[in-house]
Amino acid sequence: MDLTLTLDKKLQGFQLIAQEKLQAILCSIPGKKELILEPALIKPLEHVCTASWLKLKGIQRIYKHDAKQCIPRVDDQVHIYMIRSTLSTFQALLSQLQATATPTDVASDVLKMYGRNDAETSIQVTAYHIICVPSCYAYFQTLLEQSGLWGLVQLHHYNWDFIYLDQGVLSMELPNVFECLYLQQNTSPLPALAQSLRILQILCGRPELVVTFGNHSTQLLKMLQTLGDWPSPAKSEIGAIIIVDRDKDYASSLLTPAIYSGLLLEVFQQRAGEIIIDNTTNKIRSQKLQVLDLKTESTGSTAAPAKASSIRMNSACDEIYGDNRYKHFSQASSLVRAQAKALGLEVQKLSDMKLDEMHDYVARKLPKITEMKAKVLRHLNASEIVIEMLAGNFRKVQSLEEDILNNVSRKRLLSEIDELLITDGQRFNTLRLLCLLHLCAGILPEELQTFARNYCNLFGHQELVVFQQLAQAGLLPPLLPDKDKGQRAPTKLLSNLPLPKFKQTEFQANANRLKLLVSCADGDIDGADGHAESKQASQQACPSFVFNGTYIPLVAQFCSILLKSNSADELANKLSMVEGVQLHLNKSPPLTPKAYATQFKSHSCKSQTDLLPLRLRNLFVFVVGGSTYAEVGACDFVSKLMGAQITVASDTLFAGSDLIANAFPK
Amino acid sequence: MESQLETDNFWNRSSRAAFSFDDDDDIDAVGASDFTKWDNNAIFNDDTISEASFDNSVGSLNLSIKSIITDEALKLVLQEQTLDDCVVCKGVTPEEELRLLRRQIQNTLYSPSPEATAVKLLQGKTVSLEVFKSLHEKQQLLDTLLQNGGGDAVIGVLLFLKRTLNANQFHSILQRRPKALEHYLSYLRQAGELNSCLDLLQRFGRSQEAALLQFQAAMSCNELVIRKQQLQRLVDAYANAGVGIIPLHEQIFHAALKLQLLVERERGSGLGKQLSDHATPVEVLYACCQINNNWKEQDMLKLISPQRFSADQQISAAQYEWTALNERARAQAYADLEAIFERVPTWNPIKSKQFHISFDLALAVQRLYELKAPPTVLQMFLSKMNNNSDKLRLAQRVKCTKAIIDAMVGLKQVQELQILKDTLAERSDDQFYCENAIKGLQTKRWTTDNIKLKL
Repeated sequence: MDLTLTLDKKLQGFQLIAQEKLQAILCSIPGKKELILEPALIKPLEHVCTASWLKLKGIQRIYKHDAKQCIPRVDDQVHIYMIRSTLSTFQALLSQLQATATPTDVASDVLKMYGRNDAETSIQVTAYHIICVPSCYAYFQTLLEQSGLWGLVQLHHYNWDFIYLDQGVLSMELPNVFECLYLQQNTSPLPALAQSLRILQILCGRPELVVTFGNHSTQLLKMLQTLGDWPSPAKSEIGAIIIVDRDKDYASSLLTPAIYSGLLLEVFQQRAGEIIIDNTTNKIRSQKLQVLDLKTESTGSTAAPAKASSIRMNSACDEIYGDNRYKHFSQASSLVRAQAKALGLEVQKLSDMKLDEMHDYVARKLPKITEMKAKVLRHLNASEIVIEMLAGNFRKVQSLEEDILNNVSRKRLLSEIDELLITDGQRFNTLRLLCLLHLCAGILPEELQTFARNYCNLFGHQELVVFQQLAQAGLLPPLLPDKDKGQRAPTKLLSNLPLPKFKQTEFQANANRLKLLVSCADGDIDGADGHAESKQASQQACPSFVFNGTYIPLVAQFCSILLKSNSADELANKLSMVEGVQLHLNKSPPLTPKAYATQFKSHSCKSQTDLLPLRLRNLFVFVVGGSTYAEVGACDFVSKLMGAQITVASDTLFAGSDLIANAFPK
Repeated sequence: MESQLETDNFWNRSSRAAFSFDDDDDIDAVGASDFTKWDNNAIFNDDTISEASFDNSVGSLNLSIKSIITDEALKLVLQEQTLDDCVVCKGVTPEEELRLLRRQIQNTLYSPSPEATAVKLLQGKTVSLEVFKSLHEKQQLLDTLLQNGGGDAVIGVLLFLKRTLNANQFHSILQRRPKALEHYLSYLRQAGELNSCLDLLQRFGRSQEAALLQFQAAMSCNELVIRKQQLQRLVDAYANAGVGIIPLHEQIFHAALKLQLLVERERGSGLGKQLSDHATPVEVLYACCQINNNWKEQDMLKLISPQRFSADQQISAAQYEWTALNERARAQAYADLEAIFERVPTWNPIKSKQFHISFDLALAVQRLYELKAPPTVLQMFLSKMNNNSDKLRLAQRVKCTKAIIDAMVGLKQVQELQILKDTLAERSDDQFYCENAIKGLQTKRWTTDNIKLKL
């Protein structure tokens, strides 16, 4: 083992392990193999291996899986299907196979092939294999048996663990974890996450400290322990792992980010760290009702088939992205524009050159410049579309979000959200604002009712289900039947009394304890004068810049608390007020920060040394249920400020609209 | 061929034409033509990404598997990946093999501890549950899994329990374990077993969710007649269930049924032809606006007159106005706009109609400008703004000269008006308007501000 490898290199090494794992499956299958991939798996799989690699492993052809038509199989071929482990996909595939692979003909095929006449030579070749990503659920075997395909189809599971998208950003590319865990209360995806965290520790060593916040996070840790011990390098490369449930910090996923990478995801579809820039459609436009969208006609007339391009969100592949990814969007877009201008000048120089100079230039510099130009143009195009899509209401939404966070005049906020729904209704984004309002200020069922009525009028009655789904995740209040009006009257009377209410939502309480809300505190201290300037200044020195200086993502704050604390006591002071935070030390049962601190005081034992300050300033952050680029950007900021290294990983990277979209029936 | 392979563009084939690695394969011909097809379908086109982007494979990563993980650890990882750990690997000693086989026999004869089973399920191994015979064992297993197992294992065990216990026992187990019930319901929903799911929800007193589920099923039905029948049944059942009603749900169920009936009625007419089967109320309203030809006096007896439809569907005034504004402006029927934004004031029904708008006036002006409405229309709307400085700013943004002049008059900006006049085209309508405004301001200077000739 090479100890000189940096953590970053090791994290890239996940790819090699993923290859080994895939190879082990593919090589265990004999015969002429053909691979049939679910289309959504293609992009992430490109991060694991190339086609030539698959060829080396004996795959002869690769198809895209189509639920409507089955690929015909010749007698001696083996079909390997690779699908996501969702029940509906699996069932659809089984029924497809049931239709084509009727037991009799396959059995006779096998018999013919091996000239099997007597029972003694029992060589069995399974003609169909299904690889489920990331895990093969326990009941898939039962379903296989029930569909009569047992023995004809063999199941495998394959987890590529973490895909290295960019420096400091890992994703497992599992898009339905949020839906399963928070909307359906179904913990099926957790074992796969636990297995990947286990591999992380096999690779990078066991950290001295794991901090969890939230039920699923704690459950993950429990699973990790149940899975048993694992061999890991003696020296850990990670100081601490922080695991946080998405529902502990919804705000970071609901607020509109102000940074370049975050806004790219707001507008463009992202798959495995690559965004697709299509001039005709994008995430914002597809959220609007067509008859009320301005652009529908204009795109129809300019029906030139615009070529879609894409941007890899990886700083090693795209230096322009690398330079700008966590910069404020306005800054980033003006930098891109300046760069485009500079390149234009560079090309102009050509006309002033002498012939031999020109030769040299064309031979050496020009190819580089053209490549650069293509890159810059792609970013220019992307940022122009972002501006076109968001500019109209950007300021309005920003100030609305700030007011929501600070809970300034609820009535007005509600009516403004309503107005946005009517004049610029976006299927997910408008709902997202309402969820944010509920989180920060709490909305009443009656208020939700009016909104929902308008919403269903705009987007269709069938969307009624969405409100219940979001209530499941705690993003909206549940609607309750008024069974007995008489009983409810007294409580209503009480709430109607014009008494000041001090009830805080859980979000507010935690946000205040952890000092996540920046803009309100700012205003209190500086008063009116110099507010703008101080805001500007504070923005530059605070991770809240990712949300225009209004809010610090919880994970970033956790990181900075952990990196700043010099003793267990200090950590306990900062975290003890927040309910649900648990510290897991090596193999001991979970402790609250306070219990950990008192343990030190009472024992004052020499045998155990305080883990704080952290000896290793490498942190690994895992968000259960999807992370956002705002969080990544904020953590990157904290790491630079503190001279540490923070890696943010999650099951997927998304924008707020994707989170809300999970609640919609597919 | 080789170069295609390198660029990895082969992914982009359709499912029918596979990528073949063999040069002489005849499928290739199909592949080639297909390839160009995908090439035009821009979404799949990768060539804008530099080649380097895919070279994050082993070579450029400059890593070897040995440098990051020990052989022993790798072996463990790979072994954990297999579904079946009953396979006896090659090269074990006879004693070892005997031990393994003995353990296997034990596992089939005696029930293993629930904990051991839970661990195996967590690892994703195939586990036979048939050995859990007694009710106690079954419950114990389920509880262990609920404690520290994945949801898939819980579902797996529940399916096994359903098969091996009678309905009474099964339901009582679910009753006492809400978490298990949640998992089972999630399974049923995903599996599309609607009836079992409804049955279970009703049984456990969650009739509101059941109603929603029925509603969802009805709405996703593509056959309009069946959709209507199901909605009708749901609306009746919901009112008579006696479990209390959620007002929003009741309203939406009714509205959906009403819309269904309307769409069915209008199927043959001009309205029906423009609508898809899943049109939303606002889309229907838009279509109603398109075929409505009397905006001054809307026929409230006609179901498809926009105002009647809005009332029936409880479409808010703002939504109605915004939809009508968009539709009329797009149809360039600007004269109708006035009728949309006119309303008899409720406090005094005898008074004549007044201008009324239910959302921010500035938004209306902005949208009209974006829909390329002529300046006279913009001026009409801008004239309703009270704040002159806001009006000036907005008028400048939408380039409505007359409204700019109006606003400047309101702000008494004579000098600015002079400057503006010089920039306007000679002898144009706007210039005359501006001149008149300046004159008006100058003559007005001699009148008392208090006496206004506005009555």
